[in-house]
Amino acid sequence: MADNNVYIRKIILSVLGFLLLIFSGISFYKHRHLEEHVVLGEGVTEVKKLSDYFDGVKGTINDCNIYILEGKEPGATLFVMGASHPEEPAGRLAPWIFVENGVMEKGRLIVVLSANRSGTTVTRLGGGYPPDYTIPTGWGEQKFRMGDRWANPLDQWPDPEVYIHYPSRQNLAYVDIRNLNRAWPGRPNGTLTEKTCYAFMELIRKEKVDIFIDLHEAELQYPVISTIVAHEKGHELAAVVSMVLTDMGEFNMGMEYSPKSLHGLSHREVGDFSDAISLLFEAPEPFLDATRGKTTREQLLTGKDEFIVKAGEHGLLFEKIDENGWPIDVRVGRHTSAVLMTMEIWTEEHPDMSLVCINVPGYAEVIENGIGYYLKDPFRANPERVIIE
Amino acid sequence: MNILMSIITVIYYLLVAYTAVILIYNLIKTKTWEKEALYIIVLLPFLLRLFRLK
Amino acid sequence: MSMFTYAGIILGVMVSIYIIAKIFKLSTELSMLAAAIAGGLAGGFRIPARHIAEGAMTYLDINLIFITATLFMNILKESGGVAFVVRRILKRFHRSRTLLFILLTLLLLIPGALTGAGSVTVLITGGMVAVVLNYMGISKVRTTAIVFIIAGLSAAAPPVSLWAMMTAAGVNMPYVGFFYPLLIPCVIAALLTIFILGWKGTGTDIEKAFEELPEPPEKMNWLRVILPFIIFLGLVFIGRQWPHSTPVIGLPLMFLCAAVTSFILSPVKVNFFKISGDTVEQLLPLIGTLTCAGILVQIMTLTGVRGLLAVSTVTLPVIVVYASLFFVLPVSEAVLMWGAAPVIGVPLVLLFNTIGLNPIVALAGMSVIWPLGDALPPTAIIGRLTVEIVGYKESYIRFLKACIIPAIIIMIIGTLMVIYSSELGFLTGL
Repeated sequence: MADNNVYIRKIILSVLGFLLLIFSGISFYKHRHLEEHVVLGEGVTEVKKLSDYFDGVKGTINDCNIYILEGKEPGATLFVMGASHPEEPAGRLAPWIFVENGVMEKGRLIVVLSANRSGTTVTRLGGGYPPDYTIPTGWGEQKFRMGDRWANPLDQWPDPEVYIHYPSRQNLAYVDIRNLNRAWPGRPNGTLTEKTCYAFMELIRKEKVDIFIDLHEAELQYPVISTIVAHEKGHELAAVVSMVLTDMGEFNMGMEYSPKSLHGLSHREVGDFSDAISLLFEAPEPFLDATRGKTTREQLLTGKDEFIVKAGEHGLLFEKIDENGWPIDVRVGRHTSAVLMTMEIWTEEHPDMSLVCINVPGYAEVIENGIGYYLKDPFRANPERVIIE
Repeated sequence: MNILMSIITVIYYLLVAYTAVILIYNLIKTKTWEKEALYIIVLLPFLLRLFRLK
Repeated sequence: MSMFTYAGIILGVMVSIYIIAKIFKLSTELSMLAAAIAGGLAGGFRIPARHIAEGAMTYLDINLIFITATLFMNILKESGGVAFVVRRILKRFHRSRTLLFILLTLLLLIPGALTGAGSVTVLITGGMVAVVLNYMGISKVRTTAIVFIIAGLSAAAPPVSLWAMMTAAGVNMPYVGFFYPLLIPCVIAALLTIFILGWKGTGTDIEKAFEELPEPPEKMNWLRVILPFIIFLGLVFIGRQWPHSTPVIGLPLMFLCAAVTSFILSPVKVNFFKISGDTVEQLLPLIGTLTCAGILVQIMTLTGVRGLLAVSTVTLPVIVVYASLFFVLPVSEAVLMWGAAPVIGVPLVLLFNTIGLNPIVALAGMSVIWPLGDALPPTAIIGRLTVEIVGYKESYIRFLKACIIPAIIIMIIGTLMVIYSSELGFLTGL
């Protein structure tokens, strides 16, 4: 009898465990396989794959789309990269607006929306992240995958005891072997993340990229925020962009030098290992702060958080915050404006190598209309112009 | 190198599978409900990884 | 409702459920799970399967390190390797108390340092070292205290220090530069502990000690003991020396290789499956705690409770933080075990970083204090384990009293490391 009870208890507990496995498993599976539609704007002239530049990533989850916007007139080549850290949505939505709206009058624009595509399929352990977020549009809602700072362990496992960066041999945290922005310039026979970086370096070299911009967001407790981090080749350009943006009074944008001793980051290695000028833009994202309150989609998109305001009152933050938070429109607007301003300043200094982009909203317009205004309805678009990201 | 890395990854999945088998074996053997509950909770992440869900 | 009220209510619910669960004699692991589920319900998330599972995944890799490392240690013990080493050390060095103390300290430090778990030290070498200490004329209560304190320090010692690893991961800080900031205080405090508590004993009664220590198999020799360690350290060395021409192996597989070597070299027949089962059973309270702590932290983060604790901590006057470390850290450890690192450690390191302290040295200082909580209720898991393994049968309070002097020394060392972390910053670059 007693044995029977034990038997029944074991079955009941196992069923409960099984239900937990099923429900969570379905949620993880759906998140990893959520399809995001990109409607190619009239400016997109070609869509390539990353493996076109290095076949070592062919067939892997990181073989992402490469959107090319060839200008009507020749000029320089600008490469804008999103989702180097897929837990920073403004870094992904800003280039999305370029792909769906931008038209290059002069020069060429190359855009990536999911640099660490593997990282867009997983959320942070212990972070309580939502699996996705939706942006309201005029035609309904568009859903995006929320991601993590690191590639999914399902695509790269195990981690080493310590991560030794190639080629500098600098020691980094073991988990950062899956961090795309700690693996530059990559290597052809390395881990998936290193191979992905190597493939991007090949793209930069083969397409003769003149300027490379990596879009990020940062927690307010992190000192590198609301700024441009520039490789020495881009100091002058970044300084002028930051000065003009700040002087125009739209928003404050700082400028910092890429430290020579800090390895694996795009602003250092892309500049060192190619002819391109490398820049990294940081916008504020309160969602990433460890002092944040409830972890919700709303917090992710509005950036409103009482706890972080409280931390700010005690002088613990490197960027201001009030009850208005940091809405996603503001963060995306900062990025689109900063990219457009980079093109403008570059063109002033290099009239023979111009970069002129139209139809992309700047800071004020994105805030006024909302991001959704600039996202196209994939179900009403020409199916041939719709891509799965 | 790529092949070696793939082999190591497979070994890790085998290690996870072996541990899951041990956990299930111990779960069947154990007589206290607290240990049973704990075995099931501990088993969860191993199964999620084994089935490549997380 | 303001976020402070909302998170405060959930925190209240979680604490209440935890206390009720403990009153009903539920284990710490399941009490944490109950608190987490209650937190999810109170926060309006119902039973969030995704978050429970995601939290449970948090320490999967660390659990694998635990399991493989302990499997290695257990095979070594089962094959008679540990008894062999203890006997050889005793035979060779029994005339010099100082030298014997140093070697016994080393024996106690190694298993925990490699695995990150004080319990592994207690289980693998704790019992045998206790036998030797007893025959050196040291009372049972002091022996228990020595084993417990050094086992705790071994867990904090590098290369694997879970408190430091988990906190560093929580603030996106590389787990790099911790080796000497952790090693130096752990070794100093361990030696002080054994010398202070053990110095007063009588001469070593080697005959009696040999009678009680298990007899290793005849064919056991130094090579059979050392080769698995050479394999392990060799793999670590290869990974560090030629990281770009060798594949990533990872700590679990390194320990597994050492375990398999030890298994092959064992002079006696070892049942691999049985020992694996025993290892998992022995580790269940630890891997269970880590899994449930992961779930608890995930729900706390989801509901804003972690943020509430974090913002409350970082906005305290710094002097209050310094002055309460000796109390807050062991108590948080007693309640949450390693869960204390992401819950309390993360906001503290953020605060220290913001006010210009060296976060690595400060975190190392905190990591040395944390394990003291392992003797305190409600969990007291390592304390209880030590008492059991050493065979100490008197009052638990007496054992705690015997720990006081080394505990105070450790608290002082840890707190000073936090306060003077900037000045001690050079330790990270050694």
